[in-house]
Amino acid sequence: MLKKSKIGAIADTSDNEIIKVSGLTRDFGSGKGIFDFDFSVKRGEVFGIVGTNGSGKTTTLRHLMGFMKPDSGSCEIMGLDCRKNTAEIMKHVGYVPGEIDFPDVGSGTSFLKIQAEFLKVTDREYISRLADMFKLDTDAPLKRMSKGMKQKTALVAAFMSRPDVLLLDEPSTGLDPLMRDTLIELILSEKERGATVLMSSHIFKELDDTADRVLFINNGRQTDLIEKESFSKGKPRTYRLGFRSYEEYDSFVKHTALDIAYENRKYLHLDVSLTENAVNKLFEETAGFDIRYMKFRPFTLEDHYTEILEGGKYSA
Amino acid sequence: MLSLPLLKQSIRSNAVMWGSITGVMTLLCIQFSMLDMTRSLLFTIFYGMMTTILPGIYVLVTANKLLASQVDRGSMAYVLSTPIKRSAVTFTQAFYLTGSLILMFGIQTLAHLAANAANPIAMSTLGYTMLQGDLTSKMIMQVNLSALMVCIALAAVCFMFSGIFNSSKYAVGLSGAFVGVSVLANMLAMFGKLGVEGLKNFKYLTICSFYDYQSVLFANNDWIEKMIYPALIALAAFAAGSLVFRRKEMSL
Repeated sequence: MLKKSKIGAIADTSDNEIIKVSGLTRDFGSGKGIFDFDFSVKRGEVFGIVGTNGSGKTTTLRHLMGFMKPDSGSCEIMGLDCRKNTAEIMKHVGYVPGEIDFPDVGSGTSFLKIQAEFLKVTDREYISRLADMFKLDTDAPLKRMSKGMKQKTALVAAFMSRPDVLLLDEPSTGLDPLMRDTLIELILSEKERGATVLMSSHIFKELDDTADRVLFINNGRQTDLIEKESFSKGKPRTYRLGFRSYEEYDSFVKHTALDIAYENRKYLHLDVSLTENAVNKLFEETAGFDIRYMKFRPFTLEDHYTEILEGGKYSA
Repeated sequence: MLSLPLLKQSIRSNAVMWGSITGVMTLLCIQFSMLDMTRSLLFTIFYGMMTTILPGIYVLVTANKLLASQVDRGSMAYVLSTPIKRSAVTFTQAFYLTGSLILMFGIQTLAHLAANAANPIAMSTLGYTMLQGDLTSKMIMQVNLSALMVCIALAAVCFMFSGIFNSSKYAVGLSGAFVGVSVLANMLAMFGKLGVEGLKNFKYLTICSFYDYQSVLFANNDWIEKMIYPALIALAAFAAGSLVFRRKEMSL
């Protein structure tokens, strides 16, 4: 199934499903664990996993890394069993753990050097380019690094071998917003290269910007699997309207035929939700009013998440 | 089987501990063999206690750092996310632990050989009035070999706990109890040998009893036979620790 390939080159597999999780169950007792996970990630896809703390994101990744043994079911990467062929799989995988602690080897530079030897990475230039990209001073002692620096070091270590598969456990933890954007760019360029990415996150923005599909999990169970392309289709379009005065605001609320999704009188703004292709109706309804601003709010993963978590209608 | 990057990492992260213990042991050895005040105690104090206590501390701390503490802290994730087999991890770490002990004893033996050549010590000074002549280089090497074997067994048992547990507190707790009891019982047994009847039986409580410098000094071959047991214990403990480590679950 798998031909031994050079690190960095995409392995030749006939199967297009790079990551395959079937019936994966691991019961930690008292309702904790993951139950009956079933999903697969296609070659070159960015796949997101979203869930609250303790919902099973990290546990899923630990199974994929072969650190844990499932009670039942299995997971495969490139057609190899994650638990039995771990070392072979690791030739193709870059991993950012959820909890970052480094070996006691002094500076970031020596850590990355040893890590490069482990992975047989010879392209030192690429490593320093990654470090520059994250504005990371690798000479700093590992023990004194801030949370963000540690995260950047872990990211460089995971990306430096140009792996076929990237397993990222909340990769943007501790990064500032600018660096988060850098990470998103990097993930997108890795996707371009042909890498398959599985990442867990609670930052919806980064999944909005990168993921092709997103798996929602809650309390150890899959609740929803959505395709980014189609998930906002058919959803109501939300527009935020800001008014000049309370009189205008009250009068609009009283008379409009539009569906008001959210009101905030104090700030003089409200959200109306429209069905698709009903924007003209919005203009008609607002025609006589002194509107300060009007803003389209795209339907985001966060809205979707709130919707399925609360089982109710989205509210801001 | 041996992973060079991992070996490098282990050397780097344990260098300070290894260096200081080796330094202290070597200096003590030179002091006991050179200074008139302490020469008569070279065997009772230095070879009787220090050659098990000091390496005991080293293996207790180091064995934990090689496996359990890295799993506990999570840094093992970086080792195991590379194409290195778990069996290669345990082999390399056991190799480092044994190798560093051999080097430690090697350095202190060389120091003692040099000190003894410069300033030979008579057997009668050591308290063995029935023995003729000076302490020979051969004896020094044999005594150290005997001590080294027991220390390797101590190391292997600590390594076993380190491989079994995912949490430092259990690995250190059990290894510490084991090393502590072994070393303390050895000291008590030594008082037994020196004439305190009630403490004699403590020699059955410690694997340090397989280390027999008296047999070396009296030039009989008991010490060689006694090396078989710690060697077997070491093999079994290294194997057990590695086997559990290879199969266990880790939260990394």
